[in-house]
Amino acid sequence: MLELLANGLTTIVQLQYLLPLFFGTLVGVIGGALPGVTITMTVIVVLPFTFGLDPLQGLAAMTGVYVGGSAGGLVTACLLGIPGTPSAIATTFDGFPMARNGEPGRALWLGIWASCFGGLIGGLFLILVTGPLAAFALQFGPWEYFSLFVLALAMVAGLVEASFVKGLMSTAIGLLITVIGTDPITSVPRFTFGSPFLTGGFPFLPVLIGIFAFSQIMSDVEKLRAPRSAAAQDAPRALRAPQLKVLGEIVTRPFLLLWSTVIGILIGVLPAIGGSAANMLAYEQARKLSKHPERFGKGIPEGIIASESSNNANVGGSLVTIMAFGIPGDAVTAVMLGAMTIHGIQSGPLFVLQNPELAYGIYAAYILAHPLMVAILAVSTLFILRISMVRLAVLAPVVLALCVIGAYALNNTMDAVYVLLLFGAIGYALVKFGFPLAPLILGLILGDQLEINLVRAIMTDDNLLMFVLRPISGALLGLAALSVGFAIWQHARHHRRAAPAEADF
Amino acid sequence: MTLGRDAIAGLVCLAISLVGLYFSFGLPQLPLVPVGPGFYPRIVLAFLAILSVILVAQDLLARRAPVRAAERRPARRVSGNGYRLVGLVFAVFGLYVAALPALGYRIATALFVAAMQAALDRPRDARGWAVLAAIAVAASAATYLVFDTYLTVLLPRGRWTNW
Repeated sequence: MLELLANGLTTIVQLQYLLPLFFGTLVGVIGGALPGVTITMTVIVVLPFTFGLDPLQGLAAMTGVYVGGSAGGLVTACLLGIPGTPSAIATTFDGFPMARNGEPGRALWLGIWASCFGGLIGGLFLILVTGPLAAFALQFGPWEYFSLFVLALAMVAGLVEASFVKGLMSTAIGLLITVIGTDPITSVPRFTFGSPFLTGGFPFLPVLIGIFAFSQIMSDVEKLRAPRSAAAQDAPRALRAPQLKVLGEIVTRPFLLLWSTVIGILIGVLPAIGGSAANMLAYEQARKLSKHPERFGKGIPEGIIASESSNNANVGGSLVTIMAFGIPGDAVTAVMLGAMTIHGIQSGPLFVLQNPELAYGIYAAYILAHPLMVAILAVSTLFILRISMVRLAVLAPVVLALCVIGAYALNNTMDAVYVLLLFGAIGYALVKFGFPLAPLILGLILGDQLEINLVRAIMTDDNLLMFVLRPISGALLGLAALSVGFAIWQHARHHRRAAPAEADF
Repeated sequence: MTLGRDAIAGLVCLAISLVGLYFSFGLPQLPLVPVGPGFYPRIVLAFLAILSVILVAQDLLARRAPVRAAERRPARRVSGNGYRLVGLVFAVFGLYVAALPALGYRIATALFVAAMQAALDRPRDARGWAVLAAIAVAASAATYLVFDTYLTVLLPRGRWTNW
């Protein structure tokens, strides 16, 4: 393992891989810092740039975006009080007050180093756990895969903040999109109505780009005429901080760092929930376990360390799920999964065993992205702060043009661009009707595999009880049932506490 | 009784799933496989139909429950102007997509970026318009150069312009 990792690091430090990794990390940091631009959006924008690269170059760039984006959110969170990404919301609670108290450099560097340490511990988990998990997954037959996918879908639908029914419906809509086109087993066209455009089904990436990019940009467009915060004018001019003191503040809190990191990793491993949940949960845990919870929210280091270490550790956890099982840990890894497919790579348990150079290359890129992220933030935070002021009127058309390139370049036809437009409108409508998008995306990704494994299992043995009687499959379905039960209980409890929200149109 | 947002969404999804179920029964049943091409879609569509009915029922029951207006959580309101702007952006993007095969990437993208800027933040003076035009041309040229020239990602050529 160490030899493979050393080989991976040797490969990644070569200029041809280091450059995509560096630019990916830089773009990730900038995208993460831009309020209103999520990491998913940034990775979507970077996606077309990877088409002309070899698989490891492309995946290194995307890994850089993911790591950089997870840390970039802290820049505006600490210095402007506006989280650059949802995964930096909790950083704002203490980072901004600390900056307001005259210590912007300390707030920023606490976040940067906590991100770096959290991410690197997450990387250790990624390297140590992915192989054994993939080996375990090799024992899976179609019954186990089907049950694993059901578990993933049940968990995602249950964990979303919106209504549980809407979470499940969103999953079903995602699954439904995958049944349009040719049946994967018998090659019979389904719901195509004789249209050659629909025969191949909807390509995954344009659907994903359309749904995410449009829902995000249109939500920003809606707020365009709203009064803007004056925080930008108050941005600090100097960000110096005594590095040893800041590092000391982190390493003298090893339990906080480790516990927040573990939370981040575990949330990352769970399918389709990402850093936004991890940083809030880690922050809450830090406050609960603190001897002085009343100081949280007033600018104490614990709040920043908990939030930032967890959201970067989350990246490692998400990569474990995609590499061991082929299930995306969140929307960013869903795009990465699409990119892997474009490069002809089949993710899942065989990926690590059959492509060790590529797998360890990704690990190495992940590790190396952290010092790169620290260096980029050290040099260019004030510059990034200026970029974050770019007008939506300029940003939106450029992002949309890049989305068009990403869709068009898949097979050099306009069909994918039409799909992009169609699903852009559908995605925006779904958001306006209060449907969570994460379950839809997971349904979209797993739909084909769910069907293939279900039909394969039935073709092997038409006894449906096999899904329950096979130990691993039965255990996974049991966990899925528990997850659904827990979600129903949780939503019922939440519903009793809060009256329903009114529609916003 | 007025229908809420959830009830409308539920009814739309119910209609889609029922239509889908109707067409799924028209799919051929192949003799060599125990489950035909309609088997899995029917499961998904039935699942969606059931959930849609639950969502409609939940919405109707919630509306019958005497929740005081003051207890309702106010959602973020979007002004009519906000929706008009969204509609405008969709329209401009639709025109861009329609124009791409005819005008080609470079011209269509420059026009699109310019139109979007004008729609979202209309310049007030000649200098503003010049900046807008410069950004539009630069965005189109830079993306074309990076993708088509350096990354060998072929971008659409115009049927009318051949450019």
